[in-house]
Order: sequence, then C-alpha cells, then structure tokens
Amino acid sequence: MNLKVILDEFSKVAQNPKQQLDNYLGAGKKVILVAPVYTPEEIVHSMDLVPMGAWGADMQLQEAKTYFPTFICSIVQSILELGIKGSYKGVSAIIIPSLCDSLKTLGQNWKYAVPDIPFIPMTYPQNRKPDFGIAFTKAGYQRVIDDLEKVTGETFSDEKLIASLAVYNEHNQVMRELAELLAVHGEVSAVQRSDIFKSAYFMRKEEHTLLVKKLIAALKENEPKKGRIRVLTSGILADNPDFLSYLDVYNMQIVADDVAAESRQYQQDAVDGETGLDRLAKKFADMNNCSVLYDAKKERIATIVSKAKATKAQAVIVILTKFCDPEEFDYPLIKKACEEANILSTLIEVDRQMVNYEQARTILETVQTILSKQSPQ
Amino acid sequence: MAEEKKPRREAPDPNSAKVKLGNIAADAYTQAQLAKERGEKIGWCSSNFPVEIPETLGLKVCYPENQAAAIAARGAGQRLCEISEADGYSNDICAYARISLAYAKIKEAPEQDVPMPDFLLCCNNICNCMIKWYENLSKELDIPMILIDIPFNPDYEVSPAQIAYVREQFWAAIHQLEELTGKKWDDENFKKVKERSGRTSRAWLDATSCACYTPSPFNGFDLLNHMAVMVTARGKDEAVDAMETLLKEYKENHEKGVSTFRGEEKYRIMFEGIACWPWLRATATGLKDRGINMVTTIYADAFGFIYDDFDGMCAAYSKVPNAINLELSRDKRIKLCKENHVEGLLVHTNRSCKLWSGFMAEMSRQIGAACGIPVVSFDGDQADPRNFSEAQYNTRVQGLMEIMEQKKEAAR
Repeated sequence: MNLKVILDEFSKVAQNPKQQLDNYLGAGKKVILVAPVYTPEEIVHSMDLVPMGAWGADMQLQEAKTYFPTFICSIVQSILELGIKGSYKGVSAIIIPSLCDSLKTLGQNWKYAVPDIPFIPMTYPQNRKPDFGIAFTKAGYQRVIDDLEKVTGETFSDEKLIASLAVYNEHNQVMRELAELLAVHGEVSAVQRSDIFKSAYFMRKEEHTLLVKKLIAALKENEPKKGRIRVLTSGILADNPDFLSYLDVYNMQIVADDVAAESRQYQQDAVDGETGLDRLAKKFADMNNCSVLYDAKKERIATIVSKAKATKAQAVIVILTKFCDPEEFDYPLIKKACEEANILSTLIEVDRQMVNYEQARTILETVQTILSKQSPQ
Repeated sequence: MAEEKKPRREAPDPNSAKVKLGNIAADAYTQAQLAKERGEKIGWCSSNFPVEIPETLGLKVCYPENQAAAIAARGAGQRLCEISEADGYSNDICAYARISLAYAKIKEAPEQDVPMPDFLLCCNNICNCMIKWYENLSKELDIPMILIDIPFNPDYEVSPAQIAYVREQFWAAIHQLEELTGKKWDDENFKKVKERSGRTSRAWLDATSCACYTPSPFNGFDLLNHMAVMVTARGKDEAVDAMETLLKEYKENHEKGVSTFRGEEKYRIMFEGIACWPWLRATATGLKDRGINMVTTIYADAFGFIYDDFDGMCAAYSKVPNAINLELSRDKRIKLCKENHVEGLLVHTNRSCKLWSGFMAEMSRQIGAACGIPVVSFDGDQADPRNFSEAQYNTRVQGLMEIMEQKKEAAR
C-alpha cells in the first residue's frame, strides 16, 4: 500500500472524530469517552464497548465559562464545552481520571453541565508502586467496571480482559516501533505524525494496529529523507495542524516525543500478574516519566535528556499547555537539565483557543537559525 | 490648638486567646530552629498532612504554606514570586509554591524565615499541585520526600478501599520517618495526641459555631488567623488551652453583647476561599465599612478532626475541603450558612487554587439556591498581589450588599 494513502487514512480519522463516532454508533456499538491522561481503555474494550479519546478540541470556549474560571486548562474546558454543545451525543458514559486538579474539577462540573452522559470517575493512587497502591488501583478499576455494567448492561469477564490486554500490548509495541522509524524517516511531516498518534484515540486498537503495521512496512520500503533538523517534542498535547505545520516550514523532524497524548501512552505493557485486572493494575504501577505521576526523583527530566541524546535531537521543544500545573512545574527543571547537557531547549505556550501561532513561528524560526548552522547528525 | 492625641493602645492581655494563639504560631518556627541547632532533623510539611505523625514522633516541622502566607501578608509575595518566575516557573502556578521555591533558593526572607529542612512531608488532600511543588523542593534541596496520597474522593462517603490505602501509607510514612530520624512511634503518645487534637477540635467547632448568635461575637477574619493553629498545632497542650480560651471569650462576648467585629453588624456573609493575604486589610475594610460581618468560612468546619481510632483519623483526613466531591462540599457549606443565618456568599476566585475554584461556580449557584441568598465572586490570589483589583472587589461587595439590603427591605 502506498505511503501517502496510508498516511491519508490516519489523517481522515484524526480530523473527523465525529464521523468515527457516528460510524460506531451506526454499527450498533456503544461508545465510552475516555478522558486524559491514562484511562483503563482495556476494560472498556474488553466489555465490547468502543473507547474513544476525549482530549477536547481547538475551539472558542463559551458555555464552559459558566463552570470554569479562566485559569483552568483549555483541554479540560473544551471537553466540557463539547459535552454541553452535544458533540458527544450518543455516547454511553465518560470516564474521567483524577490525575490532576483540573481533571478532578471536570468530573464534578460534568455531572451538572452534561447530565445526559453519565460520569464515571477513575481514582488512581499516586503512591502506585507498593502493594497497597496496586490494591487501590484495582479497587478503582472495579468501580469503573461496576459503573460500566450499570450504564451499558454489558458484563465484565477477566478472560476477555486478558484478551484485550494482548490487543493493547501489541498496539503499544507497534507504536514504539513506529516512533523509532519516524526518527529515521524525515519524509513524514509533523502534521502527519500527529495524525497517526491522534487517530489511535478514535479507532479500535486492533484496527489501528493493522494500519500502523501497513505504515511500518511502507516506511521500511521507502528511502528515508534525511538532513532535517532533529527535534524532541515534550508536553501534554501537540496536535494543532497550524502549529505543527511550522515545524515543517522550518525543516524540523520530530525524532522523539515526550508528549502525553503520544508516546507516553505506549511506554508500558500489561504483562505481570495472575488475573487480567492484576496485570492492568501492575501496568499503572510500573508507569513512569509523566508529569501527572508522582516522581520524587524527577526521573522524567533525566529521561527526556537521555532520549534526546539517544535520538540525536538537536533541540527539545517544550509545548506547554497553558494553565497545566504538572507541566509548568517540570519545565524549569527540563530547561536546566537541557542546559547542563548542552541541548538547546525552547518553550512554546499553546492553548486550545489559540488561532494565531505567529509567536510560535518566530520561536521556531529562531531555533532553525541557530541549529541550521550545525551539521545534521 | 491642642495636638490631638491618639488613644494609647493597651498592651494585649497575655492570657487572651489572641495572644496565646499568636504565640503558638510564632513558637512553631522557634522550636524548629532550636531543634535544627541541636542537630535534630526537621521537616517542611504541607498543611493537611496528618500532624499527628510528626507530633507523636516528637519531630519539629515548619509549614511552607503558613510561611508563604506570612510573607505575602507582610508585602513580599511579589518579590519572591518573581524570583521563581525568573527561573522559569509560570506565573500561573500557585503563588504559595512560587514563594516557597524561591525561598528554598535564596534561603532568607526577613518577612518570615524558616530553618531549612532535612525532609519533606507532603499530603495532597489539598491539591495535586502540592506533589509537584514538593517534588521540586526535594530535587532542588536533595532531601527525601514522603508523600501521603489522599485522593480526591468523587463519592459522598469514604470507601473502605480508600481508608485501607491511606492507612497503609500512614504506617509507611511513620516507618520511613523512624528510619530517617531515629525517633520511635509510641501508641500511648499517639493516644495523648489524638485526645488533645480532639479537645482542640471540639473547642474550635464550638467557638466558630458561636456565629449562630446575632450579632456574632466575633469577626470572621479572626478565623483566618486562628486556623493556622488548627492546621499545625492542634495536638499540642498549648493549642487545647488557647482554643478553649477562645471559646470562653466568644461565649462571654455573646453574654455581654459585644463582638470583635468593630461597628454595627448589618449583614452576615460567608466568605469562600483562602484569604487574599497581600490585601487582607483592603478585603476586611471593604466589608467592615459596609457593616458586613463575615461570620463563617469552610474553615469553621474543616479543621474539626474528631475521631476514635486510627481508621477514623484516615477517614477524617480524607474529608478535608479540597478532597471531597461537589455534593459533600456544598452540603457542608449549606449547613454553615443556615446555622449561622448567612445572608450572602462572597466567593474568592483564587487564581492560585485551581481545585478550589474549579467547580466553585456551580457549587455556589447550588448553595445560593438552597439557602435563598445572593452570591457574588471576585478575582484574587492568596499570595500574589498582582492578581487582585481593589476596585473590582469593592464593586462586587457593594453589589452584594445592595442585594442583601433589598431582600431585607422586602422582608420588612
């Protein structure tokens, strides 16, 4: 299959989530929204329900303002805005984890702002690694299962969950392989790369895996485009096409990412444990390198630097979602660690309400000017 | 023309609650400093960390939130915030955190110094921002951090799973601290701390509930100052004595028909949110000049830590204001409004606190409807003076007063 055709397929899905939703509903499937950052999609999948990511949308906020003050991040606010405006009509429920303060408030507002779509909370532990943390994660998953059964009438079985874990583990594996290939193949633009990751939220994982496998095969046959400026992106979300197109304008290739909506999702597989639920809880316990997960030693910072070095990234571009506390606390440490490692880093603040990325463009132009004087690796 | 003489201010009564409570707050810093000088390991501790743990172990701790509030109230909030901002911290981050991180860097602030810590005690029942703040302190100061994670509870009741999770963490924290400091946990000592904490809490709850009288025997701004003792020292003998004195004074005030609120109490409101410490005088004056007494805040309910056993303590710490869902938060406030005959709700939309402000709009609408009272909000910040406009505050308070007056007129 032709590379462009496959990439277009990803773009079609990524840019038309409403169409995907309508397709699933039209096929008689029940759809469950899964909010950021980590939600037990595997449970939803195992109950023959379709999990669809809800990371908001680039839009002007109106209705959400009657619930949120201005200083809550626009990802969270736009999820509520879409809910109020009926964009999610037809879904059976939304699962919202409480991994940051703004997400905690989203769940509370949702109950009153979007009363026709039930809110299912997922309460994760931050002390997630000890046995008592794993037990609490399991209790949280059980709560999600009970609510899903009540809302959808479907039933949960651990056997089916084990089968779904295999689907998700395979998807993780192909996404990791793809990310490595994209570090080599500069012919895939930043917008196309984002669409590959974004489309994963709107497709059943087995379907997405198949398409990614086709892409991997096509890429392996393609002559890699070289000579672009190698950058590592970091942040919660980086999916605005206008912004990403500037990376291409300035000849930048994303060789690795530390983006919550992208590679951070695929770091950990569910493998250890007696039951499916044990494995899923252990998966969360083993997760690291994320601003919303407790990290006293700040290993995430060192990981970003080592990832940049391993992929020969010439710059780390921190794409900071405005009003995101967890990321804002990590940024000064990322900046300092990059300076110590002699890696150029820059900060670009983004917001889902932005329509003009000229400031970002100026920053990227400056990065290009500095780095174009260095020879590509 | 004879020169007008200002009335001489009398020396405060050393046996008054105000002096006793003030001494406890000041003494915490002194005790920590002395312990540090003796070579003991001391900690920095988040405000809703279970104080019973360091108290039972005999550890001295300081509270960066109290320090930040003191620094902000004494006019240095912006100076310290800007130090953190120069290091790359966004000015959208909690101002307490920015002040604390700046202090950890410069290690000196004449407005409120604290000894530097050897360990950090963090509890996120107030917000997850606390975790990020303490992670960075831990990294920058290269000292261990102990986290007790008390998750935001989406349900009305605390689940057995949450109590089990919190209980295990309490014991893990105790064992970590024993190892770190050489101090030993003693059940008998815990029992005494628990009893003292219970007595202090009962006195606090009884004292704050004296607002049910009209006029209220106290100005609610007093609570903002006294709550520091409830947060940090309620397991101490001195706190028991001070809070019981406060209760006695409020009862006496009521019997004598006097109040710490200066002037005629024309209107009674509930204040929602943390104080605007840099603008404490402006916010207090804006109410006092209009005869508005802030008779209650959620603090009146929040710091009543009364429990029977260890699990009860775990449940109590899971029910602090920012750890509970909208419905329980709402019902606690409705109870306070009704019991204290509140006529209006003034909401501080605090830019430093996303969790507190994030569902406040919907919750205050529901409180207003349930109690039949007007609700207004103003923008402010607990410690960054740049996020407050005195003109906006006064306009909103004036609006609130006019609605309360109209309602009074209609009722006459």
